[in-house]
Amino acid sequence: MRFGPFSPQDQVTVTTLGLEFAVAVALGTGVGFWADRHFDSLPWLTVLGMFAGFALGMYILIKEARRMARQAAPRKEDKKDGSI
Amino acid sequence: MEVSETLAHHILDHDFGVMFGTLHLPITAHTVTMFCISIVLLVMGILMARQGKSGFSRLMHTLGEEYVAFMRDGIVVPGMGAEGKTFVSYFCTLFLFILVSNLAGLIPQMKTITSNIAITGGLALCSGALIVYCGIKFHGVWGFVKTFVPGGTPWWLVPLIFPLEVVSLLIRVCVLAIRLFANMISGHMVLLSLLLIVFIIGQLSKMAGVGTALPAMGLEIAMTLLELLVAFLQAYVFTLLTSIYAGLVIHSH
Repeated sequence: MRFGPFSPQDQVTVTTLGLEFAVAVALGTGVGFWADRHFDSLPWLTVLGMFAGFALGMYILIKEARRMARQAAPRKEDKKDGSI
Repeated sequence: MEVSETLAHHILDHDFGVMFGTLHLPITAHTVTMFCISIVLLVMGILMARQGKSGFSRLMHTLGEEYVAFMRDGIVVPGMGAEGKTFVSYFCTLFLFILVSNLAGLIPQMKTITSNIAITGGLALCSGALIVYCGIKFHGVWGFVKTFVPGGTPWWLVPLIFPLEVVSLLIRVCVLAIRLFANMISGHMVLLSLLLIVFIIGQLSKMAGVGTALPAMGLEIAMTLLELLVAFLQAYVFTLLTSIYAGLVIHSH
């Protein structure tokens, strides 16, 4: 079953994007917290790590969205031509 | 026993470890279950591979063929393309192992081993190793390293993009492990919590406890059926995501 122009593989990938975003933020915060304890600079590196994780999460999200849009584009044009 | 202790007792692993002098060999409920699953799968695999004359043997052989064809045409080829056909055996093993592990918890005295992050982490590491192997096999070592920098990236952005891409691959492997682990452990916690409601309310008033038992058991049956669905779904999703991630590495230009 296909919803919209996206393939079943893309639909499954979409379900992981939320978790990938959360893991990116958690990873950034964790690394920042570890660095803070190591350099005794709490809370600055934790905050920096959190923002870096957020940026990484957004990067993953945008990259996947662009890839899916690129793959879905030819299928949209196929439909306009009347082909399946 | 406290509610949290009861939950932990039923969900967490128990160590019946053996000591050899100072060396501790951890034999746990999860490792015993995992060995049982491995033996069952091994016997099943041998039965499927044998081409005997009996009806049972032919049935097992046909089931095996259908299963492998489904994995090849439904998961591996759509995710990885024709290049993935050489890895069908890995995906067949992965799917069956995760499925049987998810379902094992429904058998009394057995544990759902996929509710242990160490086991899902191990499975995800195997998948991560497959993804890296695919990258090296189809692009070479230098070609695989170059896939971490998307085409058209300005040279001054490469030091920023390269680590981001490497970490995003690591995150994908982590997500595989966390997703399976979280789904399985949360399902079991819900099942046990629904059962414990009866006893918690029963401690307050016996009549209320008896009254709660019927709706709680109804919910329990519904949740068990949902768990059955989740067991199949998570095994499918784990296998499909591994093939998709490996396919992305193979077809990255």
